[in-house]
Amino acid sequence: MIMRKRKILSSVALFVCFLTALWGIFWLFFIIIDVLRHGITAINPALFLNDPAPPGELGGGLRNAFVGHFLITICATLIGVPVGVLGGTFLAEYGRKYKISKIISTLADIMVSVPAIIVGAFVYAILVKPLGHFSGWAGAVALAIIMIPTVLRTTENMLSLIPWTLREAAFALGAPYYKVIIQVVYRGAATGILTGIILAIARVTGEAAPLLFTAFNNTFFSTNMNEPIASLTVTIFQYAMGPYEDWHAQAWGASLMITVFILFATITGRILIKRRYKD
Amino acid sequence: MTPEIEVRDLNFYYAGNVHILKNINMTVYKNKVTALIGPSGCGKTTLLRCFNRMHDLYAGNKYDGEIIFQGKNILSKDTDLIELRSKIGMVFQKPTPFPMTIFENIAYGLKLRGIKNRKELKEKVEKALKDAALWDEVKDKLNTNAFGLSGGQQQRLCIARALAVEPEIILFDEPTSALDPISTAKIEELIISLKDRVTIIIVTHNMQQAARISDWTGFMMLGELIEYDKTGKIFTVPSNKLTEEYITGRFG
Repeated sequence: MIMRKRKILSSVALFVCFLTALWGIFWLFFIIIDVLRHGITAINPALFLNDPAPPGELGGGLRNAFVGHFLITICATLIGVPVGVLGGTFLAEYGRKYKISKIISTLADIMVSVPAIIVGAFVYAILVKPLGHFSGWAGAVALAIIMIPTVLRTTENMLSLIPWTLREAAFALGAPYYKVIIQVVYRGAATGILTGIILAIARVTGEAAPLLFTAFNNTFFSTNMNEPIASLTVTIFQYAMGPYEDWHAQAWGASLMITVFILFATITGRILIKRRYKD
Repeated sequence: MTPEIEVRDLNFYYAGNVHILKNINMTVYKNKVTALIGPSGCGKTTLLRCFNRMHDLYAGNKYDGEIIFQGKNILSKDTDLIELRSKIGMVFQKPTPFPMTIFENIAYGLKLRGIKNRKELKEKVEKALKDAALWDEVKDKLNTNAFGLSGGQQQRLCIARALAVEPEIILFDEPTSALDPISTAKIEELIISLKDRVTIIIVTHNMQQAARISDWTGFMMLGELIEYDKTGKIFTVPSNKLTEEYITGRFG
């Protein structure tokens, strides 16, 4: 009797789990398919090669936004990754005996879930306001601030996974600590750290809010990071809100490109993680 | 018999003033195998790790007394640990290959010593692998990842890595406790064959192993060196009652 009841309960629970999973997957695919359906028609060479046409005119593209987005993301990565990796290294290696390391780790965990728009407002206050204008650099700094805690914690975790005996073995051969870290520990943790970096890049690529306050937007083609610069996400926001059919189509096209990039980056990251745990 | 290491009134404390080693006095002889045996927690591994100052990696540990090696007290503050560890190598309980190729694993210590010449590296790597009786098994896959080797092979790789830099002493911390009997036999043979080149100190849980391969044996209990003598004597006519009870299996 009890066994029967348990079996029924178990199948009910299983069914509920199945339904919730289905619910999540349904929306994910709904979004992806919708973006794909609308976006695919907007993908043409002009989208990548032309700059925006004046409002109302046909034939414009988003070259400025693609280039601007790429520049901001690259600069954010160049700022955020070294700080994150070195900070994570400090926490896991040199700083492991200090109490402050634990505090920094916890703060970084909290930072991971700080809303991106708050980071945007913060950078607005420390960079945009004092300098008197929006700039690509401000956008890059905002995205870097979002990346740092993720990269830092992944690096710290991946380094902690490397067994201590491996470090001891290197020390026992007479290696100084920095060589132990660079030549042995980093090698063992490389895939994991790289994955963290890829996932962090994927995350900031989709951010619009922090860029609104910092890089703002630019309807003209520009590679000058000291000036306002266009980005795909902010452009999507403006075009989607705009009155023109052509703008809407281009916003869908840009959405598709970002979605594809994030999907690609995330899947690459996951595959790398899987490989790491298999070894 | 030439003395290689003199331990004088050694006391060791782990962080928080936990007194682990108590008044250890012993002489380790050159080109002999010295085994440290005793029940779990007796301090044998702690003692072994004093010889290459491994305890310095963790904050709060404290040594007291002297360990004289090549005329100097290696416990003194001004000992160059990098130099010390290049003269006193170590092999751990679990195999610890680095995440690199077999060749790079062996070359690692050599490169630390500043050897860059490709030809010289190759020769030394080959010699170390031959000395560790691993060459025939790996000569065709030197550029593959060391994790691809079996546990026993990995342990011999670690021995080769320690041998490559031509140390005076190699410390073995229960090197066969994670291995199968066949790999264990190979490592034991290897240790005996290395005697004429290096001095060996080995910690082992396995009394038969100590009896098989060592020339001198130290029996430890609760942080003290109860008896230290020639292996033949320890295992046949021990002078201490505790030693006798331990080796006859009455406790431990």
